[in-house]
Amino acid sequence: MTSIDVQNLTKEYGTRRAVDDLTFTVRPGGVTGFLGPNGAGKSTTVRLVLGLDRPTSGTATVGGRAYTALHEPLRHVGALLDADAAHGSRTARDHLRVLAVSNRVPARRVDEVMEETGIASVAHRRVKTYSLGMRQRLGIAAALLGDPGVVILDEPSNGLDPEGIIWVRELLRRLAAEGRTVLVSSHLMNETASFADHLVVLGRGRLLADTPMREFIDARVRPRVRVRTPDPTALKAALARHGHDAVEHEDGYWTVHHARVDDVGRIVSGAGVPVLELAADQGTLEQAYLDLTATETEFTTHPKEARP
Amino acid sequence: MNLTPVLRAEALKVLTLRSLCGTLAALFAVTTAFSALAGASGASDPDFDPLFTSLSGVMPGQIAAIAFGAVVVSSEYQGNGIRLSLAAVPQRGRWFAAKLVVVAVPALAVGLVTALAALLAARAGLGAAADALTVGEQVRGVVGCGIYLMLIALFAAGLTTLFRSGVATLSTLVPFILVVSFVIGDAAGTVADFLPDKSGQIVLYRTREGALGPWTGLAVTALWAAGALLAGFWRLRRRDA
Repeated sequence: MTSIDVQNLTKEYGTRRAVDDLTFTVRPGGVTGFLGPNGAGKSTTVRLVLGLDRPTSGTATVGGRAYTALHEPLRHVGALLDADAAHGSRTARDHLRVLAVSNRVPARRVDEVMEETGIASVAHRRVKTYSLGMRQRLGIAAALLGDPGVVILDEPSNGLDPEGIIWVRELLRRLAAEGRTVLVSSHLMNETASFADHLVVLGRGRLLADTPMREFIDARVRPRVRVRTPDPTALKAALARHGHDAVEHEDGYWTVHHARVDDVGRIVSGAGVPVLELAADQGTLEQAYLDLTATETEFTTHPKEARP
Repeated sequence: MNLTPVLRAEALKVLTLRSLCGTLAALFAVTTAFSALAGASGASDPDFDPLFTSLSGVMPGQIAAIAFGAVVVSSEYQGNGIRLSLAAVPQRGRWFAAKLVVVAVPALAVGLVTALAALLAARAGLGAAADALTVGEQVRGVVGCGIYLMLIALFAAGLTTLFRSGVATLSTLVPFILVVSFVIGDAAGTVADFLPDKSGQIVLYRTREGALGPWTGLAVTALWAAGALLAGFWRLRRRDA
């Protein structure tokens, strides 16, 4: 099995710690979302995994080996780092041919990945004529070139149009379903929620969470129920009898906090309250993430109060 | 580990960039044209050296060789392309070795052809004034000129790896060769002979007084190039990409 293993990884630039004692594992068969605000150390971690930057301490391995020890690494690991990695004066096809030749990847793969990423029709155009979205597709094509078991994509949806974003989502799901190890960094919550199974969350270079996405959300967002009714007085009275409180939303909805939809449904039907709409308000990744970073900020802004 | 795929990839990089093929074409065209011009303007100078006059097109032409060496390396540093290149070939020594081969081989090959063409073009203008040249001197001039152009391209490639910028290399080397070396070269005596370009240019003269001979002069240029390449490699190895 090829997993990405990061062990006590630390990277300092001068006195600044970009990555601080990071330990996590990315396993095959799922998409791992790599979350954190800009500057949290996501890209640095990816560069450390790829052996481009040298860690101050700790190790990062792919399938148990350091990236720099891999023979023809593009056949094992495909990575998208920057959309502007291709030289503007080369055609997209030549760019991919160079990469293929360097790792003895069969030439037919060049055309296959261009077809797959939807840039086959512009294969012979110079990269400098490409839009950001097309460059991004070319970068993804380069990552897929060697048919690698491990795929690492840094902000793959950058510059893509809505259609492209859906395409990336489906691509990631498919790569994971094929049993590959997929790590995707992003700072966009809703987008990450649409494809990730597992989350690794960074803040200021440190690991904040390493859990399945569903658990991450459920642990942090308390359940809520949305109700719409023409008789708010009856609703509030019925809920109050069971110790619940309803808060009116500006759009005319009522939100019942800390309640499960099954309970609220029984309460309102038992009391004969007319209900136009009743729904469980699913916690979103965004809410869970903000909850996490809020507690994290508290922790980091008052570190001295904790210990005298 | 096998170097062949890396070499093929680096060669393909050179062939797929028009600007690189363009600088090699410019090396040939400029050198030959200026040599032809020098040949046509005759041998009136009292210090006339028929071999140097024939190969004098190298003086402007070498700028193209410098540009070639610099751009082969600097094209990697455009828009973080170096990261992708080193992700494909993480063994930096292997990658750098392949890079040097694709600088050296085309520069030497084009340099030799260029030197021969320049010699023939200039001799067409010089006529009987160049008849004193022996076959041995002409072979030495052409081969030495090719090696000189290769070394100067490698020197530029080394500096570009060190600076991680082609602009920095060109704005250092071109004024140096056009101005500093030109001024000091005429003023001073033996010290100027050890400058990276002046030492290698001794091979272009039929006879020249000084501490260095034609081949020892090229050896000094080779040392300069080796120094620049080692410094560049040291930075490439140590630095984060």
